[in-house]
Amino acid sequence: MNKWIKPGLALTVAAALAAGCSTAPDSGQGGGSTNNGGSSGGGGTKTTIKMFQFKVEFADQLKKLVEEYQKENPNVIIQVESVGGGADYGAALKAKFQGNDKPDIFNNGGYNELDLWMENLEDLSDQPWVKDLVDAAKEPMTKNGKIYGQPLNLEGYGFIYNKDLFAKAGITEPPKTISQLEEAAKKLQAAGITPFENGYGEWWVLGNHFANLPFANQKDPNAFIAGLNSGSEKIPGNPVFDQWVKLFDLQLQYGNKNPLQTDYKTQVTEFATGKAAMTQQGNWTQTQITQTNPDIKVGFLPMPISDDPSQDKLPVGVPNNWVVNKNSPVKEEAKKFLNWLATSETGKRYMVEEFKFIPAFKSVTADEQKVGPLAADIMKYVKDNKTMTWNWFKFPGGEASSKKFADAMQAYIAKKQTKEQMLTNFQQAWDSLKTK
Amino acid sequence: MNGKTRLGNWALQWVFTGPALLFFAVVVVVPFLLSIYYSFTEWNGVSQDVKWAGISNFKYILTEDGGFRRSFWFTIRFTVTMVIFTNLLGFVLALLLTQGLKTRNVLRTVFFMPNVIGGLLLGFIWQFIFVKGFSTIGEKTGLGFFELPWLGDETTAFWALIIVSVWQGAGYLMIIYIAGLINIPKELTEAATIDGASRWQMLRNITLPLVMPSVTVCLFLAISWAFKMFDLNLSLTQGGPYGSTESVALNIYQEAFRNNRLGLGTAKALIFFLVVAAVSLIQVTITKRKEVEV
Repeated sequence: MNKWIKPGLALTVAAALAAGCSTAPDSGQGGGSTNNGGSSGGGGTKTTIKMFQFKVEFADQLKKLVEEYQKENPNVIIQVESVGGGADYGAALKAKFQGNDKPDIFNNGGYNELDLWMENLEDLSDQPWVKDLVDAAKEPMTKNGKIYGQPLNLEGYGFIYNKDLFAKAGITEPPKTISQLEEAAKKLQAAGITPFENGYGEWWVLGNHFANLPFANQKDPNAFIAGLNSGSEKIPGNPVFDQWVKLFDLQLQYGNKNPLQTDYKTQVTEFATGKAAMTQQGNWTQTQITQTNPDIKVGFLPMPISDDPSQDKLPVGVPNNWVVNKNSPVKEEAKKFLNWLATSETGKRYMVEEFKFIPAFKSVTADEQKVGPLAADIMKYVKDNKTMTWNWFKFPGGEASSKKFADAMQAYIAKKQTKEQMLTNFQQAWDSLKTK
Repeated sequence: MNGKTRLGNWALQWVFTGPALLFFAVVVVVPFLLSIYYSFTEWNGVSQDVKWAGISNFKYILTEDGGFRRSFWFTIRFTVTMVIFTNLLGFVLALLLTQGLKTRNVLRTVFFMPNVIGGLLLGFIWQFIFVKGFSTIGEKTGLGFFELPWLGDETTAFWALIIVSVWQGAGYLMIIYIAGLINIPKELTEAATIDGASRWQMLRNITLPLVMPSVTVCLFLAISWAFKMFDLNLSLTQGGPYGSTESVALNIYQEAFRNNRLGLGTAKALIFFLVVAAVSLIQVTITKRKEVEV
């Protein structure tokens, strides 16, 4: 029982890291005998930069990049540790800070998370890559005119669809409105194909991405969120939320069995193996999809909540940023690495070819062949200016409200709550977590 | 001279207990006291700025926090069910494996094995079994039992947790029960056999009273395991679906780390500690009384 105090938690988290996630701590070097940032070993002065990142999907590629950097800079050792993909990055990071094992470079989602970590973050406004940022990528990490993070990339999500299955069901025109979507779902079902693969066991699929839609579809999402915080707006009774539930119902009606126990891995695997024709996911699944099924032809569909033709949009945003610990003894080295990442030829090449990122920098151009069809679709939508915003980092308490939204949505899926109860729960979650 | 030996004894005691005491103090006592302090504060877990909040955390938990109450109720249901089943299964296995079976050493190892694997891994393994394994069996055989949405429904997710934790814990309790059973003096059982006692009578009137010390230990262990269940909960159901299988431990963790309210989280932890300590004390006193000295 005594375990329930900080070290116990920290240990549990540490155990969770070691056992739970797909990537164990990787040090750029083999043995990992040096641990202290900036300490000089027996011979020569080697600087160790500790990097703690959440994107397990690209841990291997990042390791390769780090090796390249170490080749160019033999005096630097970068230790990369990856925690994420279902494991709890935020909690692990806090445990690290409290355990005084502070990483020098880590991730931050921006907005509320920026506020939370503010007192540890180095101001990066003077960095050379800042003027190269695309406009959409600046907002999350900007506070009082200063920039505190380097965006990893742009990402977008929507309904990923299997083009072959659509052709098999005789759908020639990709659906852009909710009626067309229902039409397509009916045709798919008639052809014996499950229309939607719903990964609703995963809280973020619901609480972040799907719950984002009714916010992003408001006339002015930021004003709506400010209204919720001040109490002038309410979620129950808001017409956009009403329409959004229709899309929710549509997916449930034409969805896979047992969506509440379908986790991310299952969702992507089932979709990639052709068990369903559409799934709500983002371009980050590209690698996993092609690994599972190299021949699959995929693309993005919008997630329309009405029949308005302006619904042909994809939510695109910056998923996360690199930030530098301002109290780190090696912060100059850390900044140098981030700068190299964004400006050197090697860094840019990795960004596009290895990480398959949609670059958040103007000077980095991505060849559609190299980043894959999903990223290419996102880039097309970005170019045509058909994008919506990402809002979940602006929710009060960040993940906390997303998780509560997800709980309410799961209860709705299980028919334990009505639509009204779900929306009331949203409102209650918002009110209980908003900063007073 | 007398003083010297006393000093020697004293030094000797410190040499042996000192290191353990030191670690216990550093790893358990100090953080425990710190957490009592934090439970009276408002702190987000990151900032240097820790605000004193008085008893407002406790007031919030006891009067407003429905999630905490729900997870407490879940934990109680879970504990009662898990303690009963783990002990029953552990005891039955122990009875079987103290008979003259040829394979008993192998079987003892096999049943103990799940305990060696950590709860997190077990959770992930069983998640795969419930989600993929069971549904595949269900598709192939059409048996309704396997076609249930094991982790996708409130009731089945509860039982999924019970199944895995019983499977994990029973082996350990089995070993303790075996030790207890082996220690029962042969002459007692022999005398009973000569007197013509049936197997059931022997179990009731000789075996059970004499393994009571093991029961005390096993109940205590099972209760504390069940109350503290966290890793299995985190990896198997993550408290879902819709927060219905969230244990108190997980609720505390979410409050502290996901909701960034560490002060509130430690306050919950303190309340939880008091409850678990009380329950364990009561249990140990009651079962101790039932123990029989030979």
